[in-house]
Amino acid sequence: MIITKKALPRRTFLRGVGATLALPLLDAMIPAATVLAKTPAKPVPRLGFVFMPMGCDITRWTPPGEKLDQLSPILGSLAPIREHVTVITNMELQNAYPGSHATSNSAFLSAAKAKLTESTDYYLGTTVDQIAAQHVGQETQLPSLELAMDLMQVVGQCDNGYACVYQNNLSWSSPTTPLPAEAHPRIVFESLFGEGGSVGDRRAALRKKASLLDSFNDDITRLQRKLGPADRSKVSQYLDSVREVERRIQRAESDAVDNPLPDLDRPVGVPAAYADHVRLMFDLQVLALQGDVTRIITFQLARETSNRTYPEIGVPDPHHPLSHHGNDPEKIARMAKINQFHVSLFAYFLEKLKATREGDGTLLDHCLYLYGSGIGNPNVHDHSNLPVIVAGGSATGMKGGRHIKYAKPTPLANLHLTLLDKVGVHLDSFADSKGKVDELFEPLSV
Amino acid sequence: MQDKFFICVAFIFSTSAIVLAVDSSRTQNPLVASRSAISPHSFVDQYCAGCHNSDKKKGDLDLESISSEEINHHSDIWEKVDRKLRARQMPPADKKRPDESTYKAILTRIESSLDSAYAQHPNPGRTETFRRLNRTEYQNAIRDLLALEIDASTLLPKDDSEHGFDTVTSGNLSPTLLNRYISAAEKISRLAVGTAGRVGGDTIRIRPDLTQEEHVQGLPLGTRGGTLIPYTFPQDAEYEIQVRLTRDRNEEVEGLHETHQLELLLDDERVKSFTVTPPKGHKNYELVDQHLHFRGPVTAGPHQLGVTFVKNPSELLETKRQPYNAHFNMHRHPRIGPAVYQVSINGPYSAKGPGDTPSRRRIFASRPATAKEEELCAKKILSTLMRRAYRRPVIETDLEKPMAFYRKGHADAGFEAGIENALSAILVSPQFLFRVELDPDRVATNSAYRISDLDLASRLSFFLWSSIPDDQLLVSAEHGDLSKPRLLEKQVRRMLADPRAKSLASNFAGQWLYLRNLDGFTPDLRLFPDFDDNLREAFRTETELFFENIMQEDKSVVGLLKADYTFLNERLARHYGIPNVYGDRFRRVSTSPESERGGLLRQGSVLAVTSYATRTSPVVRGKWVLANLLGTPPPPPLPNVPALKDNAISASLSVRERLAEHRSNAQCASCHSLIDPPGFALENFDAVGRWRNMEEGKPVDASGGLPDGSRFTGISGLEQGLLNRPEVFVTTLTEKLLTFALGRGVEPYDGPAIRKIVRDAQAQDYRFSSIIVGLAKSTPFTMRRSL
Repeated sequence: MIITKKALPRRTFLRGVGATLALPLLDAMIPAATVLAKTPAKPVPRLGFVFMPMGCDITRWTPPGEKLDQLSPILGSLAPIREHVTVITNMELQNAYPGSHATSNSAFLSAAKAKLTESTDYYLGTTVDQIAAQHVGQETQLPSLELAMDLMQVVGQCDNGYACVYQNNLSWSSPTTPLPAEAHPRIVFESLFGEGGSVGDRRAALRKKASLLDSFNDDITRLQRKLGPADRSKVSQYLDSVREVERRIQRAESDAVDNPLPDLDRPVGVPAAYADHVRLMFDLQVLALQGDVTRIITFQLARETSNRTYPEIGVPDPHHPLSHHGNDPEKIARMAKINQFHVSLFAYFLEKLKATREGDGTLLDHCLYLYGSGIGNPNVHDHSNLPVIVAGGSATGMKGGRHIKYAKPTPLANLHLTLLDKVGVHLDSFADSKGKVDELFEPLSV
Repeated sequence: MQDKFFICVAFIFSTSAIVLAVDSSRTQNPLVASRSAISPHSFVDQYCAGCHNSDKKKGDLDLESISSEEINHHSDIWEKVDRKLRARQMPPADKKRPDESTYKAILTRIESSLDSAYAQHPNPGRTETFRRLNRTEYQNAIRDLLALEIDASTLLPKDDSEHGFDTVTSGNLSPTLLNRYISAAEKISRLAVGTAGRVGGDTIRIRPDLTQEEHVQGLPLGTRGGTLIPYTFPQDAEYEIQVRLTRDRNEEVEGLHETHQLELLLDDERVKSFTVTPPKGHKNYELVDQHLHFRGPVTAGPHQLGVTFVKNPSELLETKRQPYNAHFNMHRHPRIGPAVYQVSINGPYSAKGPGDTPSRRRIFASRPATAKEEELCAKKILSTLMRRAYRRPVIETDLEKPMAFYRKGHADAGFEAGIENALSAILVSPQFLFRVELDPDRVATNSAYRISDLDLASRLSFFLWSSIPDDQLLVSAEHGDLSKPRLLEKQVRRMLADPRAKSLASNFAGQWLYLRNLDGFTPDLRLFPDFDDNLREAFRTETELFFENIMQEDKSVVGLLKADYTFLNERLARHYGIPNVYGDRFRRVSTSPESERGGLLRQGSVLAVTSYATRTSPVVRGKWVLANLLGTPPPPPLPNVPALKDNAISASLSVRERLAEHRSNAQCASCHSLIDPPGFALENFDAVGRWRNMEEGKPVDASGGLPDGSRFTGISGLEQGLLNRPEVFVTTLTEKLLTFALGRGVEPYDGPAIRKIVRDAQAQDYRFSSIIVGLAKSTPFTMRRSL
């Protein structure tokens, strides 16, 4: 039997369960089914965050005008998708002071002050992506996805008396729970798609999974009949899990049918070249968003104090010492090359999102991505005048092609609060926010 | 973490800071109780009622008004009283206390009442009806079912634990978990049968703080560093193996100052040798290890893949100039030679077939000669597997579903594919994934019943092996042998002697003693520069071998507390300052008193997991002693108590002085006067378990005590204090074992059953087996309460 979405009435799929279902559960099933249908009237918002380490040369970053028809040297590669990009100038992270690399990373998404400690009593704040994930994450296979580029762990002491967790983890699901990011493409892939293969392979694998789930369900239902009332409620919890897994399989199935991904080959190793590795990580994000496996993604392009060299673009110097350029124009120029390189990889990603159809538009139409750094001027560990870009599609209502210049330093948390608003999380404030970046979006039309 | 200081306002049965008001009107006749037969009423009157009366209700406990009633009417309260009296925690040390013989008399009186009531109406407690196999159990079950070693941590999410053990919180089944169980079943079935799959791979990464300058056990002599990877290859095929070397922050290969030889070994045979050379002008480090690549044929099944360096003679000389054993940190103690960072294994390429593997021999015990025999043969294979997986005899109807899966797989790709398909269905069956204990049909509600011999067999195997029963145990359960105490004991002794019982050391002791936390223990590098993963693993190995030794030689468990031997390799011996131990191999070493080693409380593992990254914590250590050795854990700190900042009082004060200041607050003192003293007695051991006589230029003050009021100095005093009442320690160990075995917390009503185990064991000098056998025969282990 070929199971398609239409041929999957859950009554037959979960045969024998119906009778034992309590009504509230039936209610709970309806939203899942609605999401499955992905009604075009309700576009699914996706939120992503890309972290660029150690700031940039802000003079080569900042666009000259209020429109992006003229781009700066570092942002030049964004030209093909400039109408989907807005640059925001003069944002700051007051809670990252006193200036350090650890707090650049930790405050970027939390806008919170990191407790100064090298031990395990670290304390930060729940990050913007995780607040969003707690809200919209339940509708997808994975509530959120945390990605990074550094395969190596740092041991021992990290930066200025701050525990390594601050420097390593962008995402925190609570003030004491950093979420480790994955840099290995294969592990990322398997968490998203299982073992991959062609559409046919994947559907065959999903069908096998469904039949095993069905088998589990039969057995547990038969067992339930032998139980007393108290134990029966336990089994109905298991049956809830069965339904949730069923939902995930159905989603994956229907995505394979209605929204077919290209043949997926599981990445085997880690590409040796940095750019190849980054592109692969971005490709995985496209796939994850396209398949609606998750709607919240964070991605660290490199750790703070990374000493990666970029010989492929003619910068053999390690990034960290280069960023402390001492206003040496040559060093600044080389650092700007790295900044430009990072932005070009992000541009590659945006173009790819734009080239991916979704509904009656493109995937980019339903995405909001924040790209930026927690440091402004890296020479002095400054957390003001941060490089910040928001990229997003028409369905989100974002007005692109513009350069918003704040006269006064404005908390980055304002932007976080605004983005949360866009995914349906309406908070009065976030960390040290003092308002929203209202200018970013079109006024709401009725 | 900062010390959590406990304020215990409502600490049940807490030691009281309030002076016991001796009301002479209540103690009209102090001699009313002859010591041999003191009544609970008069005991309470004399020693308890000053605080635990109906007015004060200290610790929310009013003993005065229940003391004249039958003990059995308030058995829960009397069990708690019994525990506090047994540990001599009550009455508090600064109050009027009974003499030893009165203590013994009242304990006898209370316990005999409680125990005889229990004998008439045993309450075995109720284990959960559904208990999921946790990660460890799942891994072991797959090993024993399919002769297949898997790493369950790559297949299943980690388990939560409660009451200190991950056997407890195993009733839940989240969607993610169910999903992972299904994926795991598919992967495992494929690997076990050896089905051709798509090219895949694994990357094995080595802990970055592993020093790789010395010989690794299991690798050839004359090599240094690297790793030995047990790996199951899915098919007879070609595989690609790629090695990457460790780099520093500048992306330069660490320790690469001269030419090195890297060896790739498969089951001790060298398959390839590489030369690693420093790049010219410190450039292009990415090219240094690009050629560390091998592609070649490997037979299906388990192999040992070794990756290691030939030890260069020059490294020996350099080693001597280095003050540290640890070499992994670029700035402080850099690597002397290059180190392996990760090993990737990809394949199968050009697969030739499933080969001959232990798993296939286990599964395909019979083979169809003709197509006609296939169905029958499949039934035979599957019913054998199901019997072991479901841990019970299999009947015809059980076979229906797996056979349907078999036929589906057979139709797609033949006999073996059918078996693989059916195997995955068996592995997702709730009958495999859950241990289900059902009330028998004809049993009155809320009554104690004896569990079936088959359920008992599973309880035994998951307790002693953290795995499924073997055929011998299943057969004896089917014969009804386990209902006979003598035959039950015979099985238990057989199982204890089996190598699978090592899981009691790694799994039970690993959780009881917090050895599992070692993985996350990373002391401050500046203060403890000589700590590395080699030492971390040596800590763990010492304690596991020590525990195994008590178990295998069936010594008294009291020997865990004090011993004149331990298990060391060179790394650990150097750390402890014990001479003449060479090489990576662990061996039993007799310890002199001056070495300050032997016994759990002197082992680096325990001392480290109870320390902070920067210093020792008498609070954490004291709490560890109270919870894990004395069985009287302090209540958790109240949530609204602010942690005392390290520098809130005065940075110049020692930890001891700061804690003393803290205890001057009466609220804090009510718990900390019990918690801190055992921790102070361990102050001669620093945060990584080294002996010290001086701390920051001052002599170490190791004067400490125990909640029974005893006072002493140092570890020897603490050990003696614990040995003075061995039954307290043995009771605690028994309670921990019971929690682990039954997957539920110990309740007051378990008191009589635990006392029986301890009393019976006492007659056998508390030998390890006497406790295990006693527990296996006990009421809570062999019985269950119906709903």
